[in-house]
Amino acid sequence: MTKPKVAICWLGGCGGCDEAVVDINEVLLRVAAAVDLVLWPVALDYKYESVKAMKKDEIVLSVVNGHVRNSEQQEIAELLREKSQLVLAFGACACLGGTPGLANLATKQDIFDWVYRDAPTVVNPNGHYPQAVSRVNGKELTLPELHGRVYALDDVIDVDYYLPGCPPPAYSIMYALSAVLENKLPPKGSTLAPHRALCDSCKRNQSKPDRMSIREIKRIHEVEADPDACFLTQGIICLGPATRDGCGEACMNINMPCRGCFGPVEGVEDGGAKFISTMASILDAESNEEVAGIIDQFIDPVGYLYRFSLPAAMLQKRRARNRVDTKEV
Amino acid sequence: MSEYKPKLVCFSCKFSWGYLTDEETISSTTENWVPVICTGKIDATHMLDAFRSGADGVLILGCPEGDCHYQDGNYEAKKRVHLIRRLLESVGIEGERIRIELSLDPEGTRIPDLVEEMRNELARLGPPKSILAAEEAPQETARARGGK
Repeated sequence: MTKPKVAICWLGGCGGCDEAVVDINEVLLRVAAAVDLVLWPVALDYKYESVKAMKKDEIVLSVVNGHVRNSEQQEIAELLREKSQLVLAFGACACLGGTPGLANLATKQDIFDWVYRDAPTVVNPNGHYPQAVSRVNGKELTLPELHGRVYALDDVIDVDYYLPGCPPPAYSIMYALSAVLENKLPPKGSTLAPHRALCDSCKRNQSKPDRMSIREIKRIHEVEADPDACFLTQGIICLGPATRDGCGEACMNINMPCRGCFGPVEGVEDGGAKFISTMASILDAESNEEVAGIIDQFIDPVGYLYRFSLPAAMLQKRRARNRVDTKEV
Repeated sequence: MSEYKPKLVCFSCKFSWGYLTDEETISSTTENWVPVICTGKIDATHMLDAFRSGADGVLILGCPEGDCHYQDGNYEAKKRVHLIRRLLESVGIEGERIRIELSLDPEGTRIPDLVEEMRNELARLGPPKSILAAEEAPQETARARGGK
């Protein structure tokens, strides 16, 4: 019997997601025995050409991590889509755009100017900028073209399942892989993580008073946070109420507030907007001056609310094409 | 720029605004008017959805301070508006594109006036210029279109 073919690939990723796959330890050996890994650029020496030579849908599952920022990443995403029965968006970048999505706060030109001209460590007297096509000694050299902004994977190709996290924890990877191998998958478009919010499983939830109210906003590095108390009661912004559970509370356990890498809870499109509504309800202020006084302490709201999800945010989608949101089941 | 006609969405609470007038009458004079039961029901998602759908501004009309039928819905809406302003400003959109007015107008005669006033203000500001590039998803590469 031939083994099912599986591809693991990174686009605009940091490698952390690939590392997370390695972190399933001995289970990986069982996975490797059960499937035929046809592509895994980080770990194995397989070529895109061999994938190109495959038939349509020959790969059972493609696990794709990283965002799409350039034409090469887009082409690989499209190639894997064409050759795969299922595509799993793996990690925060593939699902929502991820931290690199904050680059959308600058234009492509701003980024090029800083990296190749203005940064204090740059010496570029002739003002050379990378070009998609250039001629050297009569030969044409090409580089991938940088897109105008960062995209989540489903902005570019059809995605069957989502596994969020930065990176996804080992047990959720094993759950996702076994669901595919045993054909026990939920409906297409599902996120393979719990539907509830992180607060539902957070141990600190017990410490919460009946009516939560804050009069000042503090940043985590400015205070010594109580390791047992709810961060929000301490005035520290924690995205737990608006973030999907399933991370294993890795940040909570080291006394760091939730930063939202698991994305919005089930049925919510924009986690940042939902958190704004949550935050408004706990601000203990009535007059405009009081409200403004507290909110002024909220430094970098877009960075806090959309640290992992700016490319998928409603503000990003303004007048852009109306994407069908497959994340809602 | 004389051609530019700003689009405005106006949410108003039924407990204080226009409850003595037929809704159709107000709708016929005020485009994109959304009467709701309590401004506390207007989630930040609805405010951002208006902008996503192409609105240049959002006006929210709630009950006078201390007069919310549900205790504090108007205060909740006000705090949300402040937070949304802060968010809009951090992506380069003027905060005054979202406004909340807490007052009483049973006939709703001021609704078209307030909308017009804010529309004039938006016309002065011009179209919003978000620093988030509102670029459509990239075109499929030649390969995905069936080429090699």
